Amino acid sequence: MVWVVPILAVLIGGWLIYQNLASRGPVAQVTFDTAEGIAAGKTEVRCRSVRVGMVKDLELSGDLKSVLITIQMDRHAAALLCEDTRFWVVKPRVSATDISGLGTLLTGAYIEVEPGRGPQGPTSFRGLEEPPPTNRDVPGRRLVLTADEAGSLAVGSPIFYMGVEVGRIEKRELAPDGRQVRYHAFIRQEFSTLVRENTRFWNTSGVDISASATGIKVRTPSFQAMLAGGASFGIPDGLEAGEAAPDDMNFKLYEDEDVAQTSLFNPTLKVLLLFEQSVRGLTKGSSVEFRGIPIGRVANISFDYLPSGVDSRVPVLVEIDPALLRRSMPGHVAGPNGVFLKQAVAEGLRAALNTESYITGTLYVDFAYYPAAAPAQLTQVGEYPVVPTLSSGLVQLEMKVTAILNKIQALPLDEVMGSINKAAEESATTIAAARTTLDEINTTAAAARKMLDDPQFRALPADLRTTLTDLQKTISSIGPDGSMQGDLLRTLDELRASLRSIKSLSTTIDDKPNSLLFGKDSSGNPIPRAPRVKH
Amino acid sequence: MNPRLPRAIDQGLASCHVCGKVTPVVAHRCPRCGSALHLRKPASLKRTVALLLAALALYAPANMLPVMTISEIGNVMASTILQGMVEFWRREAYPIAIVIFVASIMIPIVKIVALVWLCAAASGKVHPSPRILGRIYWFTELLGRWSMVDIFVVSILVALVQFGAYMNVTPGPGALAFAGVVVLTMFAAMSFDPRLLWDRLEILNAAKTPQPPPDRE
Repeated sequence: MVWVVPILAVLIGGWLIYQNLASRGPVAQVTFDTAEGIAAGKTEVRCRSVRVGMVKDLELSGDLKSVLITIQMDRHAAALLCEDTRFWVVKPRVSATDISGLGTLLTGAYIEVEPGRGPQGPTSFRGLEEPPPTNRDVPGRRLVLTADEAGSLAVGSPIFYMGVEVGRIEKRELAPDGRQVRYHAFIRQEFSTLVRENTRFWNTSGVDISASATGIKVRTPSFQAMLAGGASFGIPDGLEAGEAAPDDMNFKLYEDEDVAQTSLFNPTLKVLLLFEQSVRGLTKGSSVEFRGIPIGRVANISFDYLPSGVDSRVPVLVEIDPALLRRSMPGHVAGPNGVFLKQAVAEGLRAALNTESYITGTLYVDFAYYPAAAPAQLTQVGEYPVVPTLSSGLVQLEMKVTAILNKIQALPLDEVMGSINKAAEESATTIAAARTTLDEINTTAAAARKMLDDPQFRALPADLRTTLTDLQKTISSIGPDGSMQGDLLRTLDELRASLRSIKSLSTTIDDKPNSLLFGKDSSGNPIPRAPRVKH
Repeated sequence: MNPRLPRAIDQGLASCHVCGKVTPVVAHRCPRCGSALHLRKPASLKRTVALLLAALALYAPANMLPVMTISEIGNVMASTILQGMVEFWRREAYPIAIVIFVASIMIPIVKIVALVWLCAAASGKVHPSPRILGRIYWFTELLGRWSMVDIFVVSILVALVQFGAYMNVTPGPGALAFAGVVVLTMFAAMSFDPRLLWDRLEILNAAKTPQPPPDRE
């Protein structure tokens, strides 16, 4: 019987050990550059702040360049170890955009693990030195922004939409060709539909001061964006929202909002313009418009485009969006751009320099159809087609004046003159009739004057005055001092006396109704009555 | 050896386990207190060995599992007896490390080994000198009461250190196993009847000078 005790003990002991061993999961090895804040047996491994393991061991790697951290995972956390599982150390971090991990000031650092999606199995991982800004599990839109220069945009910089923070820059890298910077941006799920295929992204870092036709403009983003940089996006004014952008779509990051807003076009057509006038005020990037609608920009101004000594005109290379220019042309033209341009020039397409702002003296290139312009041909210089130009100012003015004169000439002047003559004759007869009317009015006025001069008419005011004095007298006799007033007062006194006697009569009748028959008691003294005796 | 005195067992006299009255064992019951009478503790060696085996079985989890979990503001530390000792040693608190080692690791195992050895001696497997046997038996009795030190420390800490989120001490599964080891070795020491050792000596001596072996219960 006594052997039950050791059997029980073995069972209990075995169960305890099994429990302990079974709660252990796989062991993972993570490599970090530094083990700052990590201690073996103390630092926890957490996933979404839930403990999933413990650092078991710390050692330097063989080449002494990194740290090997051995993590004992809990059994239930075995599924966390996938091919693309990410580890990073959570410790207090303070940056311009973010303060995170303050809780670890007290509790010490811990290792955060973000489960991957790949196949399970690997036990060796490379830890991240910086926490990834956005968990990959978070649904949202991931985009690629390409910029010509990095500017002040950095990892973690916010992305704004109309001033509302909707996402972050997750990663910054150089494009493979090394000439551009690529940003991996993340837009949160609830805002992801705001990104459209024709959305423009621009940098909102720093303070933007620009002088334009409307004066000096100072634009500042949020304080955070000013410190750490930021990007904004939006659909340019006047453009309809396109399709929702898919994941990993590539966008160009414009250097500021103005550029982004004016980048309505996709300038693929390069056209050379030769101006006879000064291009002072025109710069690289100046806008090219078609009747006020931006369709391109000035790519370059240089004499290099022309063979030397042939021409003294200033060559200006512009980039325009052929699609926009095509739409401007009356009637749809198919075929390549060359054919289209040829026809457009034949129809009067000309480029001209116009003043954008008289304050700053900036110029822009204006494309328009001038059907009345002198006929010209589309020519070719080097690889670029040359659209004929019109000089602004005098030449255009002359053309306009000519047009006005032509119109004047075309007017049916003789006919007009004839009808004017007829109208004049008619008005002459009208004037004569008017004169007779005036004469009649004159005679009427004379008769009136005669009547006014009549002495009887003149005596009329005096009669009126005597009548008024009589009336005044009559009224005064009625007044407070008049005789009528005295009579009235007396009558009133008598009336009052009669009322009084009627009142005494009525009281007497009230007291003694039979006094009407038997007369009043002679004595005013009351006679006490004998008490009545009841029989 | 002194001139041989008559032994109680030879006279068929048994001492009551409860009140100590010496009575002929044929009575089966103590005439004074009524408890059962035995010449020797019944199945003493078997019980001792069984309890020792049980203690050994629990000795493994007692040392492998954490006896105590200390959680300080987000920092959870579970330590086994050995880890605790190593930790103290590393912090150069050598006396404490030595105390822990002696009281928690050495004493239980020494006690178990000593008892096993005594059992072996009592069953005639080894033949040490009676002096050494006496010393060892005395030693196991002495050690018994000190091996509970660890359990006391853990239970006191668990009761005292309960400061919510700031600091907490909770007992681990190792503490249970360790307490089991200590209790089982104490029972094993209790169930061991040292008189069996001296009976064995008698048999050995009798082998040298022929005498009828005493029958024993």
